[in-house]
Amino acid sequence: MIRRRQVLSTLGAAGLVAAPYVRAFGGAPVKASLRLKWLPQAQFMGFYLAVEKGYYRAEGIDLTINPGGPNLLTENLVATGADTFGVSGGTDSVFAARDKKLPIVCFGIGHQITPFVFVSKKDGPVKTIQDFKGRVATTWFTGANYVLESVLAKAGVNPKDVNIQPQQVSATPFVEGKVDVFTATLYNEFYTLDKRIGMANLTKFAAEDYGITVPRDTLIVSETTAKEKPELLPAFLRASIRGWRDAFADQKAAIDLMMKLAPTLQREHQEFMLAEIKRLMLAGKASEEGLFWIDPAAVKTAHDVFLNYKVISGPVDLKAAFISAPLQSIALADRKV
Amino acid sequence: MKRRTIATRTIVPSREVQRGIIGGLMLLGGWEAATRLLELPTYVLPPVSGIVQAIVERRAALAAAAGYTGGEALAGYLIGCTIGIGVAVLLALFPWPRRGFVSVATAINSVPVVGYAPLLLLWFGTGIESKIAAVAFAVSFVVFISTLAGLDRVDRRAVDLMRSFGAGKLAILWRLRLPTALPLIAAGMRVSTVRSIIIAIVVEMLGAYGGLGWVIYQAVMQIDFVQVWAAIFVASAISLVFFNLIGLAEWKLVFWR
Amino acid sequence: MAAASKTSAGLFSTGHTVLRLVAGLAAIAVAWQASVLLFGIRPYYLPKLSVVLDAIASTPAAYAASVARTAAETLLGYVTGAAFGVLLGSVFFHHKVLKDTLFPMFVVSQTIPVIAFGAVVVLWFGNTLFAKAVMAFYLTFFPVTVNTLLGLQSVDPAQEALMKSFGAPHRQLFWKLQFPNALPQIFVALRLATSLSLVGAMVGEWFGDTTGLGVLLLQATYNENVVGIWAALLVASALGTLFYASVAGIERKVVFWRAEQ
Repeated sequence: MIRRRQVLSTLGAAGLVAAPYVRAFGGAPVKASLRLKWLPQAQFMGFYLAVEKGYYRAEGIDLTINPGGPNLLTENLVATGADTFGVSGGTDSVFAARDKKLPIVCFGIGHQITPFVFVSKKDGPVKTIQDFKGRVATTWFTGANYVLESVLAKAGVNPKDVNIQPQQVSATPFVEGKVDVFTATLYNEFYTLDKRIGMANLTKFAAEDYGITVPRDTLIVSETTAKEKPELLPAFLRASIRGWRDAFADQKAAIDLMMKLAPTLQREHQEFMLAEIKRLMLAGKASEEGLFWIDPAAVKTAHDVFLNYKVISGPVDLKAAFISAPLQSIALADRKV
Repeated sequence: MKRRTIATRTIVPSREVQRGIIGGLMLLGGWEAATRLLELPTYVLPPVSGIVQAIVERRAALAAAAGYTGGEALAGYLIGCTIGIGVAVLLALFPWPRRGFVSVATAINSVPVVGYAPLLLLWFGTGIESKIAAVAFAVSFVVFISTLAGLDRVDRRAVDLMRSFGAGKLAILWRLRLPTALPLIAAGMRVSTVRSIIIAIVVEMLGAYGGLGWVIYQAVMQIDFVQVWAAIFVASAISLVFFNLIGLAEWKLVFWR
Repeated sequence: MAAASKTSAGLFSTGHTVLRLVAGLAAIAVAWQASVLLFGIRPYYLPKLSVVLDAIASTPAAYAASVARTAAETLLGYVTGAAFGVLLGSVFFHHKVLKDTLFPMFVVSQTIPVIAFGAVVVLWFGNTLFAKAVMAFYLTFFPVTVNTLLGLQSVDPAQEALMKSFGAPHRQLFWKLQFPNALPQIFVALRLATSLSLVGAMVGEWFGDTTGLGVLLLQATYNENVVGIWAALLVASALGTLFYASVAGIERKVVFWRAEQ
């Protein structure tokens, strides 16, 4: 009961704050949709909060959030115009989409650093990266496998000497020692591992330690929208950033909302997730340049990994694929957390 | 039987097959024309010619994947049919737990196999065992229900007649009930062929070391739509072969009757 | 192949059915709970039934909303799919050329794992309840078509000849002999299709949705929330059983002359 009242009072306050904002487009708000890469969870907290508090409406956007699902590709839905905006896989999927001539552009990057790490058990046989040799490592064969191979190559380990296998949904094979190295997103699988093994008993191998970074959770829009309604992009970014700042400022209230939207989620996991997401979104250059910053250097290293492994058929024109102008039209003070 | 008049042993394909081929060609032609005339981008719908070209180019990998998936589906199918028919026959002989059993089996089956997939992967691993289990599970239920319905089709008077001649439960089952049930059993088995391939593919998508589902999943994630379609075409082709093989066997059986 | 008449079978067995169902479920519940406790099965493989029920009871509104949503999608797809299947089967029965030309294509359509085409489904049908019902429809109509056709074909030629010799028109032949004769087989498909339509709706919910049993299942799966997986499975199977039992009940009323033994 108390929680609900809190949510309501926050909403009331939000209405007052939102009022002074002038609608960007005059008249009725523009209908638009945001396609997520997955189901509602704290990973997308800022967007949900911004809808709930009316931030998009204040910017003249009537936003509907559409969740994602397995085998549902955000790039595809945005390219075809089924959705206006998208939170897509990451820089890797943006490269692949541009390589396949999908008319989408990235106008913001959520996770500034690689959101997944490779982990081994402290009491297991893998203590250093050199120990990967001859061991079983599982990872997702949809991009993460190339990151793993690149990390190994940088460390002077021949990837062919490691038994790299596709990773299934469950962490159980790793917990039970059938797998020596496991790939875990910091906000999701890592929580499960922490519950079952304990963070103190795990060794983390981050791609960043080997000079590789794959920024993920990219904001995308179709080329058509970017060209014909350019004013939509800064408006969307402004509202989203306000949502995210609120989410980080009052994480408890934010999770209250998430639990209201998806009551079967585990609150503790969502709290853990939001804290991790905050770290990922404020890492790297974002600490100076603010949320959704596109760091050309980080994008370039990711691009080179995928080009090197021929995941993309040729170099991608990064200037055309990643546009910073909409973000830069917002004052730095309004972007920073 | 009307079908008896159609010659299937001649080398020239029967009229049925000819018509089927004509229908297929019309569909493929319309598809190709639509993609070309409307200039659809590949991420909406690639042209048939492009898909066929991709299949030819990647034939080795696709054939391996098809063999992998086909093997899983076939193994699961055989296990599933055996269980389905076996349990139904047992229940025909010993009917007392029937209602409870059917209810529980229905309850279990009313959940999509994809729902059990994470559990199956957990219990049977990422290898072929989990796919075989999933296929066997789904097939056994369909065949079980069909067999049970088939066994029920029996004419009461014929049963009474056989009983009056002193025939036992087994004899009635073997001589009367099973032959009567054959068309329905066969129909269930025929419908299951297609499902067995799909289920193998769907479970592969959630975690596998190979197979068409694995190819599809990777291709979707890497935005390679032609590859997705190529794998789908191959999947359809092996499903059709499977379906028709069972159809042929069914025809032979019904013919024999 | 005259049917044995057993008109009362459908009515008196209803009470027994419920009783046996309850007994069966109770037995499973006890076996479940007991085996977890006795054999010390780890909760990652099989959680205790009581824990699963607790999970449902702690957020009843979420489960109720999901059941309502999934049931609506399933029912819409099932009813339209079943009607279309019977119609298609009858049309194929009367027009052999059409059947020979189109039937293989319908077979092909069933060999496509639609889950690979989430984006296409969203593109064509949007994010509506209707899009999920389409999936249920797609999985429902095929077995109904097949069984309708087979049922119509399995009519005793002697009876057919007899009716024709009396000068019965085609329409009468169909409604008085062929269709009633096919009904038992059609109902087999209708019963099987209950679970298929539920599968369709739940998989349809994987193409981006916020409510529904498919959503709950997916969410729990990827969060490795084993209790959540079981809770969703349990609720889905309850819905599926209810659906199946309803159709079986209708079957006993309609095909009374050949009710289950």
